[in-house]
Amino acid sequence: MYVILVYDIGERRVGKMLKLCRQYLNWIQNSVFEGEITEVKLKELLSNAKKIMKEREDSLIIFKSRNEKWLTKEVIGQEKNDLDTFL
Amino acid sequence: MKKTYYLFNPGRMSRKDNTLKFIPVDESGREGTPKYIPIEGVSDLYCFGSLDANSALYNFLGKNGISVHFFDYYEHYTGSFYPKEYLLAGKMQIEQTRYHLSAAKRLVIAKKFVQGASFNILKNLKYYQNRGRDLGYYLEKIDGLAAQIENASDIPGLMGIEGNIRQSYYGAFDHILKDHAMEGRSKQPPLNEVNALVSFGNMMCYTLCLDQIYHTQLNPTISYLHEPGYRRYSLALDIAEIFKPILVDRTIFRVLNKKEVQSKDFDIQVNKVILKESGKKAFIRAFEERLNETIKHRTLKKHVSYKHLVKLECYKLSKHILNIAPYEPFKIWW
Repeated sequence: MYVILVYDIGERRVGKMLKLCRQYLNWIQNSVFEGEITEVKLKELLSNAKKIMKEREDSLIIFKSRNEKWLTKEVIGQEKNDLDTFL
Repeated sequence: MKKTYYLFNPGRMSRKDNTLKFIPVDESGREGTPKYIPIEGVSDLYCFGSLDANSALYNFLGKNGISVHFFDYYEHYTGSFYPKEYLLAGKMQIEQTRYHLSAAKRLVIAKKFVQGASFNILKNLKYYQNRGRDLGYYLEKIDGLAAQIENASDIPGLMGIEGNIRQSYYGAFDHILKDHAMEGRSKQPPLNEVNALVSFGNMMCYTLCLDQIYHTQLNPTISYLHEPGYRRYSLALDIAEIFKPILVDRTIFRVLNKKEVQSKDFDIQVNKVILKESGKKAFIRAFEERLNETIKHRTLKKHVSYKHLVKLECYKLSKHILNIAPYEPFKIWW
């Protein structure tokens, strides 16, 4: 499954969220991540995220797609991070 | 599916916040912007450039079951960081060794490897025969040699047949490739562009097999067709034999005939030819594409990638060794 994850989180907790998401998905922009992930790993990520979030103030949204190929991505302006596997 | 990362730029890889951080360094030693790699999405690392890392990183990689493969300047495979075996099975180890020690049992498996390899080689040639290349002579010759596999009475004899098949097969390369000539196999060092690609491709295939064996209970040092030597994972060589024609050779034909790799991608010296970084990248890109390509598996009734086929091969071999089902080598059926 291919997902896009975005969050809007209180300043004091945002750093923790960034670090958590980096373990599972590729950072593409501030508060935005994308990448291939399995069902189970996504659950793991979300349960960890809930521990960080204050659910009355913060929000986290996930866009799911069955496969990367059903997704067209257009970048306007600066691409902050390309997702190449050649480093 | 987890991804393989290829490191060409020199730089420093480190553990940061329980994930990987890579800081590229340019020629003048300046550090670039750090890049974070999601640890959960990494299957393994291939290291072509120079990599700075400390033991904390290797501990971390080990815990996550990620192996790192190293290659020297001349693109030879130099070794791997192989995390602690996580699928241990004494029974499998004992049976695997027993099958190796019994000459008769070993020969059965070894023959299957050669049969699989020659079948896939023939399939490659037939594909190009249908596309108007004149390969009748090679097809006949290899067909004849393949018929002798059954009668081989020992391992050296079998290796001899295998060698002859490869030699005729490489002869056919000159007819398949449009603008490049192979002029026989040369290695250590390769003497022309095609040979450089074959060496590089075979090494990639060997590493791939090793990596897939890691995810099964098989021990990669106990082999059947090749002699188990010192300091090498010879079972990976056995399994690579079956997949080389499908994964490596097909990719070579593609990159050369479609001009994805050209003469400018090679560093041509008097007595050796090596791939430049641009050539390596172009080849790996095509190779990676091939590995992730999926086919509908006939018996499993689902889509599997070429990469997964290698692992399935290991499963079939373990079933044979544990006497569950006789091993049949992978034969390309489309």
